[in-house]
Amino acid sequence: MKVRTMILAAALSLAPGLLNAQFDFTLFDKSFQIHSFASQGFAYSNDNNFLTMNTSKGSFAMTDGGVNISTQLTDKFRVGAQVYDRNVGQLGDWHPQLDWAYGDYRFKDWFGIRAGKVKTALGLYNDTQDAEALNTWALLPQSIYPLDLRSSTIAHTGGDVYGEIPLHKLGSVSYTAYYGARSFDKYGGTDYLAADQGIPIFHDSGKTRGIDMRWNTPVTGLMLGGSFADLSEDRNGEWTTCLQCTFSIPGAYYRQDAVPDYITSAYGDYLHGKWHFAGEFRREQQTFNITSAAFSGVFVYNGSNQSVFGSAAYRVSKLLELGAYNSRFYFDQPNNPANTASSHIFDQVATVRIDLKKWWSVKIEGHFMDGYGDVYSAHGFYTRSNLAGLKPKTNMLVVRTGWSF
Amino acid sequence: MKNSLKFLTAFVGIGIGSTVCAADVKIIANESVGATSISADELKGVFLATKTSLSDGSHVVPVLEKGGPAHEAFLKDYLGKTDSALETYYRSLVFTGKASMPKTLGADAEVVAYVAKTKGAIGYVGADAATEGVKTLEMK
Repeated sequence: MKVRTMILAAALSLAPGLLNAQFDFTLFDKSFQIHSFASQGFAYSNDNNFLTMNTSKGSFAMTDGGVNISTQLTDKFRVGAQVYDRNVGQLGDWHPQLDWAYGDYRFKDWFGIRAGKVKTALGLYNDTQDAEALNTWALLPQSIYPLDLRSSTIAHTGGDVYGEIPLHKLGSVSYTAYYGARSFDKYGGTDYLAADQGIPIFHDSGKTRGIDMRWNTPVTGLMLGGSFADLSEDRNGEWTTCLQCTFSIPGAYYRQDAVPDYITSAYGDYLHGKWHFAGEFRREQQTFNITSAAFSGVFVYNGSNQSVFGSAAYRVSKLLELGAYNSRFYFDQPNNPANTASSHIFDQVATVRIDLKKWWSVKIEGHFMDGYGDVYSAHGFYTRSNLAGLKPKTNMLVVRTGWSF
Repeated sequence: MKNSLKFLTAFVGIGIGSTVCAADVKIIANESVGATSISADELKGVFLATKTSLSDGSHVVPVLEKGGPAHEAFLKDYLGKTDSALETYYRSLVFTGKASMPKTLGADAEVVAYVAKTKGAIGYVGADAATEGVKTLEMK
């Protein structure tokens, strides 16, 4: 089954590549487009294993890809869908997902509606994070866009209202407001973290609503934006025995409700000639009510985290781009000592991107990480991949090649 | 000395001439487009897929050139993006389902022919290009 899935994913990703172009065709007088992207990476770290890969021995388990089809049915109505699949360490595990599938009706340029499964507009890169060709980096700043936790905010099944409002000499403002059911991934970091703590998740569901606004300023190339998301979650499962557990009631049912989980984000992007600067600050406040038949009352968990990154990239030539970013993740939780390796992950990164073709790039990237975050924070470091414990510093080389058509 | 000055004048003249020529593009549209003029903001919106109609209500679809002086000048003067940045921008729309990849054609003549036969099409060509069968939009 796994082999079949892998072959299918590879075929879907590479088919347009073999054609060396996007694939267009006409059916019932309508023009359809098929696009795809795929990437393969290699990661090698000195000590800690990262993103559930066996990076300390060098790992090629870093593959992903997507393929989409879309058409414009009328001047105002378009439909499309995309399938995405990945195998990054144990993340994704070659289980294809419907990434997005929706109808989009644009009444006016300042007002449109999307309905279906829609990528969530949150911060600079949330909705585009999977297509690595769109960025300079082999890995996006993991403080804000952790590969392992992508599913918790990546898309919602519901709807968006969106549009762009001209401000004349002040540029324009584009907005997206949304509401819908969250997507969860049982092959993602949240489930692995819970399982490692001896509280595997049987069921997870929740809603999300939020707004994203972007000001395309009158300064050419400068965009400033902000996002807010209100997330709810209803999770249940059962305690199991676990070697790393600090607390366990094997066999006891538990339920965990997010009341609430807020994400706020402020960001900017500036493209000036051959330079590209970007930055984002994000804060997440989480409160969970945990109930169980094993104890009376409600256990309230309060945690928050702040993340920030700043990046600069310079396009040396058509072939070569150089870049660097500094990414910082701070995790606050009452039981977690401050200013230790478990309260933060700082990542300094330098990247060389080589564009061999318009559709094919290779990235070579060095990560110099300080800290590994908390047992409750996930963000790359998991007990299951680091059974001997975590060291405070991690240096890692990532080489990633990607295709997109 | 005189010869040097003549050479310098000629060199600068060529430079200025090239700049003027590169920056001089015509905006063309299919005859179905009602508007006779377009603002720089509208043009940017159309080619960045945030705008699908002009002020007169005409639905428009952008057409790009693959490269060349008209393309470079258009990107610089109206979109403020490099070719690779524009490509990345379009891909970000395509991979989130927000827009289709616009039609890209090789040369002025191809763009003119495509715009002439495609309802709502809007494109750009070099100032010297023959534009039979299409309307030229004035910049507001």
